[in-house]
Parts: sequence; structure tokens; C-alpha cells
Amino acid sequence: MKYLDLDIKTINEKLKNKEIKPIDLVNEAFARIEETNLNCFITLNKEEAIKKALELEEKEVDNILFGLPIAIKDNIVTKDLRTTAASHILEDFIPIYDATVITKIKEKNMIIIGKTNMDEFAMGSTGETSYFGNTLNPIDKTVVPGGSSSGSASCVAAGITPFSLGTDTGGSIRQPSSFCGLVGLKPTYGRVSRYGVIAFASSLDQVGPITRNVYENALLLNAISGQDKNDLTSSSKEVKDYTKYLGKDVTNLKIAVPNYYMSEVIDKEVREKIINVINLLREKGCQVDYVDIDYLEYAIPLYQVIALGEASSNLARYDGIRYGLKIDNFKNIDELYKNTRTIGFGSEVKRRIMIGSYILSGENANIYYYKALKLRKEMTDSFKNILSKYDLIIGPTNTDVAYKLGTKQDDALKSFYDDLLTIPVNMAGLPALSLPVGYKNNLPVGMHIIGNYFEEDKIYQLAYFIENKLKEEV
Amino acid sequence: MKPTIGIEVHVELKTMAKAFSLSKNNFNDETNTNINVIDLGYPGVLPRLNKGIIDFALKACLAFNCKINRLMHFDRKNYFYPDLPKGYQITQQDTPIGYDGYIEISNKKIYLERMHLEEDTCKSVHTTDTLLNFNRAGVPLIEIVTKPCINSGKEAMEYLEKLRETLLYLGISDVKIEEGSMRCDVNVSVSDSDTLGTKCEVKNIGSISAVGLAIDYEIKRQEELIKKGEKIVEQTRRFDDKTKTTILMRYKETGNDYRYFPEPDIPYVYIDDEWLKEISDSMPILTDELKNKYTSLGINNNNIKTIISNKNICNFLESVIDKCNPIIASNLLTGDVLSYLNKNIIKIEDTKLTQDNFIKLVNKLDSKSISSKQGKEIINIILESDKDVDIIIKENNMEQISDDNFVIEIINKVVSSNPDSIKDFKEGKDRAVKYLMGQVMKESKGKVNPSLANQLLIDVLKKS
Repeated sequence: MKYLDLDIKTINEKLKNKEIKPIDLVNEAFARIEETNLNCFITLNKEEAIKKALELEEKEVDNILFGLPIAIKDNIVTKDLRTTAASHILEDFIPIYDATVITKIKEKNMIIIGKTNMDEFAMGSTGETSYFGNTLNPIDKTVVPGGSSSGSASCVAAGITPFSLGTDTGGSIRQPSSFCGLVGLKPTYGRVSRYGVIAFASSLDQVGPITRNVYENALLLNAISGQDKNDLTSSSKEVKDYTKYLGKDVTNLKIAVPNYYMSEVIDKEVREKIINVINLLREKGCQVDYVDIDYLEYAIPLYQVIALGEASSNLARYDGIRYGLKIDNFKNIDELYKNTRTIGFGSEVKRRIMIGSYILSGENANIYYYKALKLRKEMTDSFKNILSKYDLIIGPTNTDVAYKLGTKQDDALKSFYDDLLTIPVNMAGLPALSLPVGYKNNLPVGMHIIGNYFEEDKIYQLAYFIENKLKEEV
Repeated sequence: MKPTIGIEVHVELKTMAKAFSLSKNNFNDETNTNINVIDLGYPGVLPRLNKGIIDFALKACLAFNCKINRLMHFDRKNYFYPDLPKGYQITQQDTPIGYDGYIEISNKKIYLERMHLEEDTCKSVHTTDTLLNFNRAGVPLIEIVTKPCINSGKEAMEYLEKLRETLLYLGISDVKIEEGSMRCDVNVSVSDSDTLGTKCEVKNIGSISAVGLAIDYEIKRQEELIKKGEKIVEQTRRFDDKTKTTILMRYKETGNDYRYFPEPDIPYVYIDDEWLKEISDSMPILTDELKNKYTSLGINNNNIKTIISNKNICNFLESVIDKCNPIIASNLLTGDVLSYLNKNIIKIEDTKLTQDNFIKLVNKLDSKSISSKQGKEIINIILESDKDVDIIIKENNMEQISDDNFVIEIINKVVSSNPDSIKDFKEGKDRAVKYLMGQVMKESKGKVNPSLANQLLIDVLKKS
């Protein structure tokens, strides 16, 4: 047992009474990185982390996150710390500013251990599209850790850091959290600033916390939430203290289970785990109803049109002119673009840029993109309709548990199906969390809890109840 | 054959900050100093929205009688070019802030199809390498597009002059074509039937008069081609200042594909009644209204034209016009003051001239307390010092004598010592009066009121 395996409250006590120092936690984290060898970091921040830990010895422990190690997904820019988005095109890119979430993390005196591995530009759900090689799942090194926040999930699951930040465009926090047996939240669109997050699909991207348990997740959301003048899409809605709702009685919560989320497409054992939770909730006295939510079945084509359309535009800036990779043997400007982008981007990214460009091209914009925007609104309205009658929506996070490495690499379409149940949430901009609720063949099963806009509190309330109830069962 | 012309004008808005970042909006500062991560399109950055650009554009919308898209958004125009940092330009495709407006010129209304907000690119400087100046990246622009309703170079020039003048009076742009803060592209087509002909675009013309020349040349060129039975091919041309001709740059490629879509990083903007009222309450008096006002005050057309085309002079006139004779004031400003400013290449604000002193001077002239010649002397003094007009008059003994009896006394003295002149006068020789007046002025050391003296002199001569 190491200090890092203790719960946050205990670590905080020990820091306060000087039983341990931040440097002890930092040293443990780096030792574990070497022990575990999961390739979950692209860049380590060792020198700075040690320096920061020593500096903190002079300071008062002023908040519960003080001195705690955190890992940051490598598509969130960190000043003076290489940020690559797992792409060759940004391999040597050292940002000159901090993302807003990083500023907030630093204000809490958390210690950044390193930048985590991910699918290139967050495009993928296995971690295998990373230019820096795939990340391993500490639970079983033969299966994928999920993605695109692969390293952020892997390093928390391995006990390297108790906290990490991921980003979620179509399930990239929730799916790896589910595959690695962790708690991962995608907040309401606009709850957390996107300033400094390397954009994939601007209308879907959101930063969120990945942690070992619900309480620690709520703690980290407290730290990173809030309006930011640098992000016009961030909300002015008041930030709640999300830890306050933990332990609050759940009896009166009304819960919906979409039939679509429990259909034949979902693995039977996974469904059984969810049904087990439904039974627990009903026993507790919660109202749990099966419902239909219209348009959910369009999630994947919607994602391909909207996310890839936006991505094709967001990735246009990597042109070899101002920063990043530049391939020098060119005769004219078109050749500079072509050579730089051909060599700089991996094949999944190129495939998505091509699809996105095609979709926005000429008349296609009307056939695909503007139609998709209408459908997105319809899907959002059907969610709103259900959430006007129910407090929360639950179901599985994924269709199945983590699968073997390499299985989906050759099928471009198949990897999207991992996000079948997570994409609709991004489309509607709702908050949702993945919570571990058991195992299938020793691999964790994740449950999805979806809430109404800015009601992360209710999600945590229910998640905390289930988390504890399941502990009792064991 | 009938020519049809449409004009697109890009105008830089002179807001303090850029359109979507807090960088200073000043291209002319040292190269690449007014830039930040947003202007450079760094990974992870998001646009901010400078509300000032909407305020400015709304002023232009109101001045040009445009309808306003109350709920508007921005769009991304995607293309690759080294001067475009993000690989897309933030512009307005679907919901231009203004549409369906018009500008009145002397003989007709020029209809505006749309006016939209967008950001400028950075400036490429071609040496042995191509260098980029990001001071311009993100500078706010409005693009104003007319309907194809202009029929000659002359009309185009009049439209542009009016547009320029109005934007200047709105105080939202420097509108200097030479410096690029106003840029004109024209589309010219010629047709011998009711349907429009194939258009040719002439880009980035360097002055309003060059626009007129370029259009007239294009009309002639296309007419000749049509007469020869040749087909006009859609193309982009440029105006060559030396030869006064247009030169082919490139043929239009089939439909540019800009992959427009709504900018997801900027929420929709709703312009409510309150916002619009705030703008309409802050509208300055525009040139049409000023012209009418000056005409009704009796200022002559030449002076009006000069005043309107010199906004600083006009501002000065406006600040004194209610407190003194507007005709005398306008004569002074367009005459002595303007030639002083032109000679020294300075603006009226750079002189020592104060409103109070100017008003005093005009009033002295109006009451004929001083002569117009003295007025000229005084204006040149008060342009260069803040010495009070009263003191100048006193110190230089310039106070005119308007006391009839005193003036008649001098006249009698002069007339009695010049009997020959009386004879000349009786014989109808004009120079007699002039000569005697000269003597009167000399005798009085220039202090008698000349028009009064002139009148009295004639009376005396007639009686003698």
C-alpha cells in the first residue's frame, strides 16, 4: 500500500499534519509509471513536478486538492510543456499559454505529472491511432483501454495519479472510464471552458474528470467548472459544490431507461449488470421506467456529419506555416500543405478530414450538414421531453466491455459503434457519467447516468448511492 | 448595349480591439506587434467577440437604410492560404447583419444587397520570401455589396464617394483607399439584351477615380468583344494605373468551394430593441442633412462641398455655427483657415485656434467693427497663438470707426484738398472714388469702416 492508494480525504489529512509531503506523492507517481509500463504518457513533466512539489512544502495546505498529482490529456495545452494531441504534426509543439482548465488546476496547487496518451486529435476509441503507440489497459494488457482519453484512464486505473482530465466529443471520457473501471464524467456542454483544448468538434467537445470514485470526481469538477470570458460557449450558470449532493436520499428520483439502450445490440451480460442496478433502485423505492427516445438510432451518422465536418475545419490550421511540423522540400505553397499534412497526420485523422470536407462541400452541405443540424435538434428535443418527466436517464455506457487490441483497426466504421450510446449525449449537450457496476470476464462494465442540463449534482447523487450499494453487495 | 455594374467594398472598422481577440486594432504599428495566440490561430484558442464591431456595423446599417438580421450568427469560410491563420475566415454568410439597403446619389438609389461582418487576413509581404504581418489578422471589416444596378463609371464613383463620406462621418472607419482601409472590387458586364451579360471582376482598385476609369475601360473592352461576336469569359482582372487599362489575372475556376458552415465557437447574437435604440440615439448628423442645413443657412455650394469633404473643418463649423454668422464663418474656414492648414499640412486640431476666439472674430466682422483685410490678419494670428481677439484688435489699433460724424469729418478734409477728383467724379470717372477712398483710409490709418466710408464719400461728392 502506497500513499497514492489512499482516499483523497486521508491523503489531505496526512499532508496537513505533515506526515507526508507532496514530493512523496510525486515520487510514487513516477515510480509507478516505470513499474507499470503502460505507455499512458506522451510527455512526462518530471522536473517541473518535482520543483513544484518542493515549492509546495513552503505553502499551507489550503484546499483538498493541494499537492495532489494529476495527469492531463495531451490535447489540453500546457504552457512550456509539450502538447502533441498524439500527432506527428504537433510532435514538437510547446504551447505558450495554458488552457483555462490548466490555470484552474494550478490555482488549486495540483501537480501535473505529465501529458497522457490518446487517439490522435481524439479521433478513435481504442488509443491505437496515437502517433506515439497504443496505451495499455492496466486491468488486462491484451485489451484496449478505450479512447480517445486512453492514457488519462489507464494512469488512474494503474494508480499512477488519482486524477486525470480527459475530453469527450462522442464518448472519449466515458468509454475509456468504463473499460478501465473508473468514474468519468462528461459535463454539460458549456460547464467547463474549452479554451486551450485542441478542437476536434467544437460543438461537442467538453473537458471532464476521470477518477477512482464518485466523490473524487465531484471534487475535480468543482475545480474546473465555471464561465470563462475566453470561451463564449461557456455558461454563466452558477457552479454548485457537487460534493454536497453525495449521500442525499435518492428515493424520490425518477429514472428513465431508454429501450434503445437495452436492445439486443447490447451484450447480454452487460444488460444484466444494468438490470441488477435497476432492481436495486426499485428496491430503494425509485421510480424506474423503460421509455422510448426518438432519433437515438441516428447517432452515428449524425456524429460522422457534424463532428467530422467541424473537424475538417478545425484541423485546417495545421499547415506548416506558423508552428508544428513543416516538410521543407516544396516547390510551391500547395506542395507545402500537401507534404506537411500527408506526413503529419495519421490515416484515421486523414480519413476523417476527407469525410468532413466532402460533407461540407458545395451542395453536400445542404444534403448532409444542414440536415444533420435539424436532426440534432430533434434528438435534443426528444431528450428534453424525457428529462422534463424524469430526473435522470440510465443504461450501459457501452455495448460491451473492452475488446482485444487490434480488433477494430481495420474497420473504420466499426470503431464508431463503440460510441453508439455515448454520442447522443454529446449531440444534446447533456452531462453524463460512467460508473463501474461489475465485471464480465474480469473486465469492468460501465453504467451510464445521463442528467438534465447543469444537473451534474443529481448524476453524482445517484452515482454515489449506486457506488455504495454495490460495495455493500460485495 | 447596356453595361451593368455591381460593387463590393471592404471597409476596415476602427474599433479599439480586433474583431475576435483583444489585440490592438492598429495595422500600422511595428510589424507583428499587435498579435496574440488567437490572431495566430494557435491550437486550442477560441474567438472572443468584440461587441464594438456590431455597434459600428449597426451604425452603417442605419445610415444605409438596411434591414437588420436581429438574430445573427457567424459562419466559417474555409480555404487554405498562408495569410489565413486558422484555415478559415470568420464571416457572415447566412445572416449578414444588414441587407436590402440603399444609398442615394444625385440621380438614383444604389441598392445594397447585403452588408456583413468579417475578419481580415494577415498581410503578405513578398520579398525573396513571402513574409506575413499578423497585425492585420483579425482586423474587423464590413463588406458592403451592391445589387447589379450601377450603369456607368461616373455613377460608381458617385456611389463610392457617398459611401466613403458617410462612413467617415459615422466615425467607424478611416476609409483610406490608398492605405487599404477601404478596398473596392467591381463586377462589370455588358449586354445587348434584357438578360445580364457575363461579368468580369476587377479587383483591388487603388482610388475612386481609378474605379471610374477601370469601369469605363471594361465597358469599352467588353462592348468591342461583343461587337466582334466574341464570347466574354468570366475572369478576374486588375487595373493598371499607368496604362489606365484592365489586365487579365486569371479565369474564374468553376465555383469556389468554401465549405461554409455556422461558426460553432460563437453563439448566436440577438440585437434587441434596446441595443438598436442605443445605436440610433448615438448616430451623428450625416452629410445629406448637413448639406441641407448649410444651404438653408445661405452658405454657397462651393463652400458646402469644401466643408463636407473636410470632416475636421466641418466638425469645427458645427461647434460654432449656432453662435456666429454661418456665412462669414464658412468663408473664413474654407478660405484663410483651409489654405493655412494645407500650406502647413496640419489639421485644424493642431492649430491654436479656439472656438471662442473664432466666434469673437466672426462677430467683429459681422458687426463691421473690423475690415475683412484686418480679419485676414487676425485669423492668421489666432491660428498660431491663443491671444484673445479683443486684445489683438486693441494692441494693433484695429478698432474700426463707424461714427458717421467722425468719418464725414475725414472725408470733408480729403475732398477739400482734392478738388480735381470732384471734377473727375462729376465727369463720371470711377477712379475718382477709388482714389479718394484710398486717401480716406490713409488719413484714418485704415481705421474707418470701409463700406461706411464709401457710402458717405459718395453722398458727400454728390452734394458738392
